[in-house]
Amino acid sequence: MTSSSSGGVFNPAYHDSETLEVDRRDKRSWTHHTNPYAGEDPAWWAERDDAEPGASSGGWRGGESFSMGLFSTSSGTNSWQHDANPHTPDSSSHYRSAAGLPSLMTGGMTMRWRGMAMRGMSMFPNADPTHAALAEDAIRSEVENEEQNLIKELIALSAGEQTRKIQELPQSFGEKKNIRRQVMAFKSSTNSHHFLCCTDCCRNMSLSFRRCGNGIKSARQTLKLWRGIMKEIGGRFGSSVLTYFLFLKWLLMFNIFSFLVNFGFITIPLLVHDLSANIPSNVSFRGLELLTGAGYFNYTVMYYGGYSNETLHGLVDYNMQLAYFFTIAVYMVLCGIVLIFSMASSFKKNYVLSDPASSRAWQLLCSWDFSLTNERAVRQRKNNLRVQLKESLSERAEKESITLSKELKQVGIHVGSWFLSTCLAVGCGASIFYLCQYGEEQAMDTAPWSLLQEAETLLVPFVVSLMNIVIPLFFSLFNKFERYSTHRRQIYALLIRNVLLRMSILGVLCYHWMNVVPQKYSCWEPMVGQALYRLVIIDFLFLMLGSFFGEFLSNVIGTKLQPRLGVPEFDVARNVLELVYAQTLAWIGIYFSPLLPAIQMLKFFILFYIKKVSLTRNCQPPRRSGRAAQMQTIFIFLLFFPFFVGALSIVAYTAWSLTPSEQCGPFQGLNNTFSVVSIWIHDLEAIPTSDWVVWIYQNVIRSELFYFLLTLIIIAIIYIFWQLTQGRKELINLLRQRIINVSLF
Amino acid sequence: MGNKQTIFTAQQLDAYQDCTYFTRKEILRLFYRYRDLAPQLVPLDYTNHPDVKLPYELIGSMPELKDNPFRQRIAEVFSEDGQGNMTLNDFLDMFSVLSEMAPRDLKAYYAFKIYDFNDDDFICKSDLEKTLNKLTRNELTEDEVRMVCEKVIDEADLDNDGRLSLEDFQHMIVRAPDFLRYRNSDT
Repeated sequence: MTSSSSGGVFNPAYHDSETLEVDRRDKRSWTHHTNPYAGEDPAWWAERDDAEPGASSGGWRGGESFSMGLFSTSSGTNSWQHDANPHTPDSSSHYRSAAGLPSLMTGGMTMRWRGMAMRGMSMFPNADPTHAALAEDAIRSEVENEEQNLIKELIALSAGEQTRKIQELPQSFGEKKNIRRQVMAFKSSTNSHHFLCCTDCCRNMSLSFRRCGNGIKSARQTLKLWRGIMKEIGGRFGSSVLTYFLFLKWLLMFNIFSFLVNFGFITIPLLVHDLSANIPSNVSFRGLELLTGAGYFNYTVMYYGGYSNETLHGLVDYNMQLAYFFTIAVYMVLCGIVLIFSMASSFKKNYVLSDPASSRAWQLLCSWDFSLTNERAVRQRKNNLRVQLKESLSERAEKESITLSKELKQVGIHVGSWFLSTCLAVGCGASIFYLCQYGEEQAMDTAPWSLLQEAETLLVPFVVSLMNIVIPLFFSLFNKFERYSTHRRQIYALLIRNVLLRMSILGVLCYHWMNVVPQKYSCWEPMVGQALYRLVIIDFLFLMLGSFFGEFLSNVIGTKLQPRLGVPEFDVARNVLELVYAQTLAWIGIYFSPLLPAIQMLKFFILFYIKKVSLTRNCQPPRRSGRAAQMQTIFIFLLFFPFFVGALSIVAYTAWSLTPSEQCGPFQGLNNTFSVVSIWIHDLEAIPTSDWVVWIYQNVIRSELFYFLLTLIIIAIIYIFWQLTQGRKELINLLRQRIINVSLF
Repeated sequence: MGNKQTIFTAQQLDAYQDCTYFTRKEILRLFYRYRDLAPQLVPLDYTNHPDVKLPYELIGSMPELKDNPFRQRIAEVFSEDGQGNMTLNDFLDMFSVLSEMAPRDLKAYYAFKIYDFNDDDFICKSDLEKTLNKLTRNELTEDEVRMVCEKVIDEADLDNDGRLSLEDFQHMIVRAPDFLRYRNSDT
């Protein structure tokens, strides 16, 4: 056994147990002299030095800048070097000299400022009482100087900024209170010079404002939805599982906003104007409507068909057509903007700034999940970390041992799985297509439908949801045979295949709705709305069943029947994809069924509780710690593109190219939906004061030159930003080199 | 706002609210948590600033900290005497920094202090080895320990002095977005 590094072979630093006594014994060094109860016992030094020969060598380099950043040592580039052996009489005597200076350690100085004091002491290795006293004075005056500077800085700020800055100070509570008191005393004294009579009044007012602000802050916190549950989940399962629930909450907000907007601008005016719904007499409410959405619901405001195309005359003239069009358009545009912004900020935080080169350091120092409070989760996280460290240490050895034939075999397996996955996805799409065609042949345009016919409409959603549950199991099976270089690539491959499957199914359905349904039905938009309603409801039922089978049964199988499999983990990627798919259905359906977001809201709300119960009862914390932040970026990216873009394109295509149905809905009789805007502009031309709106419409929105110029400008700006980024990267490299060069001297 | 509580004066509460990230209700709730650890030691009236310190053993047995491998270091860093015995001020300060409202820089500063086991304001190799011990519990071999620590210093040490200063650590934190993202405290 050789002693190579400063840690030594028998490494007491590594093997210390966690019992309090052993740890405390090692920790007792002269640096803890702030404890007024402890005596200054020089006998401790010997004990400490025996225990940690290596550790102390780091502490004596003078001239380094202090960790607090508030202080800069005036000892400058003192290159006094401590020699390797800490047991010299010099150092022990100078520990003792430090022991003889209790005055420096009392009062405002806590262990957080101690380091600076000790460094100051290190300038005078030969302990001499007079020198020591001088050093103490110098340090104390420097400390006070810095404090005065800080107070001056704080006084110049506004009250809110002051509070924020004080909160951010990395000092102990007593020191912060001290500084705050001084700042406030200074402020009140300056105030008293100017306004003698108003000081009390002003002070009380500002105090009550601040108290009010604090009260509002605490009230806002209680309103946060599900805060306690999120904390519990994060504590027991870690942050990667928490990302799923946060994502669910975020999507719920989208739906709440959509519901409020739609209900407020489209449905309420209609209800206010005309409370009686015009339902034909031969249609009554049967229970099946809740599942199929047809029948009784067809004539309510649930669907496009329930809205009239007239201008409602009430308190104001309310143009339903414009209201319908603009509400939906504005909502989609706002969604797009929110998604782009959150995607960009998430990308910036989680991808651009993160450096893959420091993976080992990251693993050791940054990957510990401090939110875990459950013992089992902690234990598993530790195992996890150990396995990851071992893997990364041994991966270099593995890389060399792969032969050419093995690699070819791997590539072959990859190609085969991708081919099979694509075939499965295309096959599902084709079967849905033929199923839809068969369904259309059976259905008729005339109302009312018999019970059997309505039940038949449930066939397509049932098959779609079944495919969405079963086919991903095949994908997971393929995944088991393949070998990926990193765990993340494995998750991405699985995600891409699932996305492909869902996109192909949705694509086929949309094709069917855009091309076949308008020809067949006279009032086709409500039919599409109903199809979407059915998809949403059946999807919800299958999600609940999926929780049951996926997690509950797996738990039972894993614990009782086949203990080798173990307790299941919560599959975050699959669940997030299901959420994204559900939200896409809602986005497509907004145009055809304005109240669909209400159903979606209810669905997500119930789903949260179901998933939470299923998680806490059936699952264990994940064995592999993923990088939660990067996964979240991927989820938002998936949400936006392809799903949101796809939904937006469908709605835009419907509004632009398809002819609205002639007999029902707000756009009856028009050539296409967008002509609503041209008609409105045409009406506006008659009014002289709104010339500018007409001008904007004709020269900006309808002119191609404008878009061409805009594209050119955007491309130029992108190029400039790209060059800026390249320049900054070079600058970072240069600076890094300079840091190394500077420290060498 | 009804000032029905008699534990703190209004000025004390204002000072707490200004110096920590907590609201009034949370401060009171935390006070009751503190008191529950040792009801006979902690008086119900803090208006005359009683000097009460709870020993580390009680702090370390709180459910939020009991399973945290770094609980002792956390208590030591935030306590005034450096031994883990905490007054109410230290207690509030600790949970304020650990709460989700504290900014990342502040947390990074304290995380650095937590990982710095020998309190020399640098994370040197022995500090890293101790961190590794807390996180893996004696299951790595000596060689692996040495390799991991060397690798960490190689990757993160910018000014090449063989140990990590606060700036090195902060530079690494900036590029690690997962760090301390969901650090929780139960208030």
